[in-house]
Amino acid sequence: MSEHLNPERIVLVGYGPVGARFVDELLPLVRAGAATLTVVGAESADAYNRVLIAEYAVGHADRDTLEITDPLAARGAGVHLRLGLSVTAILRSRRSVSLSDGTLLAYDRLVLATGARANVPTLDTSGAPLPRGVTVLRDLDDAQRVLAAVTAGARIVVLGAGVLGMEIALAAADAGAEACVVYHGEIPMARNLDRSGGSVLAQSARRSGVTMVNHSRAESLLFHQDDDGVDRFDALICADGKQIHGDLLLLSCGVGARTELAQLAALPVSTGILVDENLASWGDPRIYAIGDCAHVAPAPRAGDSTALPSGGPSGLIGPGWRQADWLAARFAAEVLGRGEALPLAASMSAVVMLKAEGIDVVSAGNTGADPWDRAVDEHAAGCSGAPLSVSQWADPEHGRYVKMVTRDGILEGFVCVGMPRTAAELTLLFERGSELPFDRSVLLRYDGPDYEPSAGSSFALDATVCWCNGVTVGAIADSAAAGNTSVACISTATRAGTGCGGCKMRIGDVLEHFVTAEPAAGTAG
Amino acid sequence: MPVARTHCPYCALQCAMTLSPVEMTPVAQVADSEADAAASVSRAAVTVTGRDFPTNRGGLCKKGWTSAELLGSPDRILEPLLRQADGSFEPASWSDALDLVAAKLRETRAQHGADAVGAFGGGGLTNEKAYQLGKFTRVALGSSRIDYNGRFCMSSAAAAGDRAFGLDRGLPFRVDELDAADTILILGSNVAQTMPPFIGHLEGARAAGGLVVVDPRRTATARLTDDGAGMHVQPTPGSDLVLLLGLTHIVIAEKLADLDYLTKRTTGFDAVRRSVSQWWPTRAAEQTGVPVWQLRELARRLAAGVARGAATGCGTYILTGRGVEQHADGTDTATAAINLSLVLGLVGTTHSGYGTLTGQGNGQGGREHGQKCDQLPGYRKINDPAARAHVAGVWGVDPDSLPGIGLPAVELLSSLGEPGGIRCLLVHGSNVVVSAPNADRVHAALKTLDFLVVADFFFSETAVLADVVLPVTQWAEEEGTMTSLEGRVIRRRLAVDAPEGVRSELWIWQELARRLDSASTFSAEASEVFDELCRASEGGLADYSGLSYALLDSEEPAFWPYPVGSTGTPRLFQHDFAHPDGRAHLVPVTARRRGAPAQVGGTLTLITGRLLEHYQSGTQTRRVRELADAQPEARLQLHPATAEQLGISDEAWVEVSNDRGAVRCRAQVSTDIRVDTVFLPFHFAGDQRANLLTDDETDPVSGMPEFKKTTVRVRALVEAGAHV
Repeated sequence: MSEHLNPERIVLVGYGPVGARFVDELLPLVRAGAATLTVVGAESADAYNRVLIAEYAVGHADRDTLEITDPLAARGAGVHLRLGLSVTAILRSRRSVSLSDGTLLAYDRLVLATGARANVPTLDTSGAPLPRGVTVLRDLDDAQRVLAAVTAGARIVVLGAGVLGMEIALAAADAGAEACVVYHGEIPMARNLDRSGGSVLAQSARRSGVTMVNHSRAESLLFHQDDDGVDRFDALICADGKQIHGDLLLLSCGVGARTELAQLAALPVSTGILVDENLASWGDPRIYAIGDCAHVAPAPRAGDSTALPSGGPSGLIGPGWRQADWLAARFAAEVLGRGEALPLAASMSAVVMLKAEGIDVVSAGNTGADPWDRAVDEHAAGCSGAPLSVSQWADPEHGRYVKMVTRDGILEGFVCVGMPRTAAELTLLFERGSELPFDRSVLLRYDGPDYEPSAGSSFALDATVCWCNGVTVGAIADSAAAGNTSVACISTATRAGTGCGGCKMRIGDVLEHFVTAEPAAGTAG
Repeated sequence: MPVARTHCPYCALQCAMTLSPVEMTPVAQVADSEADAAASVSRAAVTVTGRDFPTNRGGLCKKGWTSAELLGSPDRILEPLLRQADGSFEPASWSDALDLVAAKLRETRAQHGADAVGAFGGGGLTNEKAYQLGKFTRVALGSSRIDYNGRFCMSSAAAAGDRAFGLDRGLPFRVDELDAADTILILGSNVAQTMPPFIGHLEGARAAGGLVVVDPRRTATARLTDDGAGMHVQPTPGSDLVLLLGLTHIVIAEKLADLDYLTKRTTGFDAVRRSVSQWWPTRAAEQTGVPVWQLRELARRLAAGVARGAATGCGTYILTGRGVEQHADGTDTATAAINLSLVLGLVGTTHSGYGTLTGQGNGQGGREHGQKCDQLPGYRKINDPAARAHVAGVWGVDPDSLPGIGLPAVELLSSLGEPGGIRCLLVHGSNVVVSAPNADRVHAALKTLDFLVVADFFFSETAVLADVVLPVTQWAEEEGTMTSLEGRVIRRRLAVDAPEGVRSELWIWQELARRLDSASTFSAEASEVFDELCRASEGGLADYSGLSYALLDSEEPAFWPYPVGSTGTPRLFQHDFAHPDGRAHLVPVTARRRGAPAQVGGTLTLITGRLLEHYQSGTQTRRVRELADAQPEARLQLHPATAEQLGISDEAWVEVSNDRGAVRCRAQVSTDIRVDTVFLPFHFAGDQRANLLTDDETDPVSGMPEFKKTTVRVRALVEAGAHV
């Protein structure tokens, strides 16, 4: 098959959803024999869709539905999948990685998709492994532990009210478990929501049966002993002394990029492995990083400040997949010597959507601005720094809240709670960078009962009665006024009812309305 | 002449109608010259009455009722016309006109090769004509260059159906089987306006609260879901593929898939399951604008319908239309709709199904018998040696003399006048200057031809550019067959004699073939051509070999495949699919294209479509006074919020433009459309042609252009009076 004497050797470390996407996108190149691809993955299971792990953990999704790639197809194309193995070191000078089985693997290009791990706060425990009754939620084993608790209707204490914490608490409550979220700020999802949006979410969560405990900094754990004498989680003790009892403590305190390999290889690292706009490491042009382990930032030029850039991995799957798609396309273009790949679109602030049945929370971008932060009129007309404008709608009683933060009519951020259709439209507007209607309230009405009007009065003169022949109420009224007072006469005169015939009853109604109740009223229009 | 039991000239529903000759009016019998003129106009008049038939049950829409008006239209071309040196047209005799055409065809072929001559057909031509045009092009012209306007209609759904089921028949069930449905999902079709009598078949689902219409506009069809009859889903244009992937995700995740069916009757489910794993509901909502609750509700309703279907026979049907198919990813979108149908276990059951709603009158038959650039009669592949041998045998020619695969419509039109491209073109039953994407480019390309021949009833916008215009018969003046949207073969019957100087295409091709000393024979008798078509189709997918005019005239229902010795196939796939393994094939598809450009300063997404009153390029319906009075011009539909932003009021003049062209028309401000979307009907001519704006980018599988997602800029024209 191959006419390529020296196929490019590509090694991928990590076979999570982003790694799997990279593999799928690179298959044509591998099939063509222009490159070899070896994948090293620590989890022995095939890649699965981690985004749905919370649904799996409460029994709403089967293992099957988490499958995201076909390893057989990858193998069939010639990809070497080496699962259940880990990379122990990157030997940059030898362009190789050493594996946990002691072997070496040479690369021309090395792609790190090592992902992230759940943060475990220091809670006065004896450290790893986690005690019984305490878990994070990151992989399939974690999900199994949670599922067992949910199935037993246990009381689950979730520490941390980020997106995942809220999702698992709401899903667990929905699935019949008792859920309690403990967090130290005032509102849940504080990274994504403003105070009002967070407050409405907290209220909605309470209404869904989730106990929300705010302003609570976790300090230590209380244990009781299982029959075998081993400690098991009993309660979380907060800084203010309160004890929150439960059967399972689920730590949902964010994730940290897995950067150890890169660090050991002396590659620059901040909150993730530092890569430039082409996803290549700041320190080695043959090494790339994508997904949750990658921190994209322009590489400093000589003489630039040495301060590490701000920002970091988004922790969201969408940007990771886009990076995987783009990098695979770029490799293909370079290896085949065909054309220039388009630059990777600047990573836009991603939209965060809470996945919970019945509670809709979507936010993106800058959500902190306030309507009265800085009055618009304080700025001279045409001033270069057009100010942010904020429009807001709050209806806590009904669990609804919207904030739109715009500059020149274009969204820089928004929060939308309890208004799903509005949220979907705001998402499209945000992602496209489109202008909002002058009258922002147009966007609020999508979720109103009047959004799909039943065409006003069914006797309005311009309401269509017969779709087949385009005959309106007015035309029937006119015809009736001209002496056609039975359905059959109307049909002959106007053709109403001579198509599918579905409107004959309605012609009768119209006749009755205009002939009996308001004689000749129709002709006035 | 006796009454003729025939069918409507327009859409694929092919409503049954009876045409009765009108008594001569006294004034027409007065023998002065003015009255003679009047007589020549009214001579062809017939009255139209609806006829009871399973599809239309005696009803007709406005277009059908007024269809006979065109028979005597003063606009009709009544003799061949030749373009003169000064650009004007002069009448000519048929023999002079055909001699000239034949000479040009010969000359072009001799100088530039057979593929410098081409033919462009239409989905309104009868089966006999569609068949004969394919044969004429390949045998008499020896050219591979034939395609037709059906490429702009059905090609994506056809390619997807073929890929999934091994066979493409728009509805693989009878239309009236929809009557019993519990749930009907219509994606991208405005049947209440495009084929109104069809909505009678939606009554059952409406009564059950199960009509779901997916459309960026709240169309007349979407309004049928009001008042508890169902649900309108209003995604942003071009996001249908994601919507379908998201629905499939929910069906699988919520364990609503019919795993037993998938195991027994299909292949490829695992790959589809993996491919939709990435389209969880919030992600689908993010790209479609459809809220998660609505996605879930829809998925659950579809599944509930199937469950009910298994118990009561009243199941779920999924129907697609051009709104989701006319895209550069149209084949994949139709495939995603089919995958959803297969995952739910709809197809090939007795109670549920998937179908695509064919648009043009003979859009079904027109795609089966050799008008497509890669096909021979019977839906055979032209590059299949066995198919070539069979058809060549029927035609009495050497299989090696048949050309290979030609060019699909958009490529064919792009090749006009180009080096190595077509220099001499025959156009039959099509008005590409209005109907093809990037219409100005097509207009310019037609002008670069050495020679253009257009057969039509009227001076269409394409005929105006011709070197020779050949006047042809209308539907009531000819015999033939059509194959309707449900795969039913029906008879078109002669009701009145054609005007003196008008001929059938069958006769024209016979005469041209004779002048070109062509191999094989070309009959001008529709029944003889049909018999030959039946033989040519024998053993193919669209097998008509058991049919004849005698059988069709007996009014027996005739659904293809109808092999010799069978009684036809009203409902397909009940036991097997048409692939060699007997299974339906699920093919995973990927949504790659994202969103639209930033909509600022009047940048919006244009979608196009039809109005109740008009048909296709409007060549016919714009000439019917009642229809033209009701809808005399194009109007741009846009939302009041968008209109306010752009300073546009209802009825004000606007300009809709992009790099390809500009349309000037009046605005129609309406809340029945999304804020990010504008709509133009595509029936109008001149600078109101919607296709001045559409892109000729095409689907890699089907060759379908991107008609339904065009980026445009909309602005108010200064004053109402500013438009000239």
